[in-house]
Amino acid sequence: MKAHVHAMLIAVAAFGASPSLAHGSTQPKHGGIVSLSGETLFELVTAPTGVQLYVVDDDDPVDAAKMTAQLSLDTAGKTQNVVLAPAAGNRFDGPALQLKSGDKVGVLVIDKASQAHLGTTFAIK
Amino acid sequence: MRNVKSLVLAAVAMGLLTAPLDAHAVWFAQRAKQTALIYGVGADDLDAVKRFTFIEKMTGYDANYQPIKATPRIAGPIVLVDTEQQPTLLSVVFFNGIWSRVGDGEWEKKGRDEMPNATISTKNYKYSVAIMGPLDKPVPALSDQVLQIVPAGPIPKTMGEKLTYKVLFRGKPVAGAKIINDLINDPDATPIETAADGTVTMTVRNQGLNVLHAVYKGPTDDPKRYDWIENTATLSFVLPHQPE
Repeated sequence: MKAHVHAMLIAVAAFGASPSLAHGSTQPKHGGIVSLSGETLFELVTAPTGVQLYVVDDDDPVDAAKMTAQLSLDTAGKTQNVVLAPAAGNRFDGPALQLKSGDKVGVLVIDKASQAHLGTTFAIK
Repeated sequence: MRNVKSLVLAAVAMGLLTAPLDAHAVWFAQRAKQTALIYGVGADDLDAVKRFTFIEKMTGYDANYQPIKATPRIAGPIVLVDTEQQPTLLSVVFFNGIWSRVGDGEWEKKGRDEMPNATISTKNYKYSVAIMGPLDKPVPALSDQVLQIVPAGPIPKTMGEKLTYKVLFRGKPVAGAKIINDLINDPDATPIETAADGTVTMTVRNQGLNVLHAVYKGPTDDPKRYDWIENTATLSFVLPHQPE
């Protein structure tokens, strides 16, 4: 059963995370973990002082001030929603999160003007 | 010659216009990086906006399969889906009305009470579930999905591998549901019927969007107006592509 669950997690961890070099670098630039959804790159950085999210859309940094951002941390069968605050450039800041293997972090970024939704899910390994 | 060509074109057009009601479905797909609700069949991405009021219910589910708010929104010529958080699943209930026809005649949006000479009258519901995020537990039977296709094992990473699905009617496996593997690229495929345990095993066709389609006739709850309830369900999921 454990192997089955593990296989299932591995099989779908790439949802919204297919590397696509045509749309710019997919390497983390801030020491975090990255997930690519289409042409939108999300980088999640966890630090003792707080969590940071960077969003790059088709190799262009988004303007965080024009967007809202939210994380949905799913851990041990419970979901915790965390609203992030726009920070400098394409960065959003939030409180410190303790992430462990098996957790999932949903990301939803919404353009306030167009209401366009950009999202992905990080599967923490 | 021109007349023959015209006749052929007219016949083709008639064939398209009289496509069986169960041929059309709803499913979720990406449009300009947004999640959209599509109504159509094959490559026909039809007018979902015109049918916006047919959407009875839309729900998102988080990674623990707890419901989250999902709201359909008209955006120009398409219907987009807004969610309050990144969903793991999306579902929709879509009521396509009561339709009747006489013999091979055209379908009319009436019940037998309005069309007493009808030879067939059906009530039509369309259901859809999309897998939007990584799964670490089986997709559950969703209470509002009268007909639902669920993967019965892990979704493979690459096309060409086999995957077993289970078709649920009112939450329980059902035999005899007719299912096709690829509503988008092979809509005219001969359907396969589910086994006694509700399962069917097929090869995952696409390294991209996969939309499976099932049809099952449920009993009528108003025999004076329709003979059965035509339930259709789709399941959509994406296999990511390789690096470009």
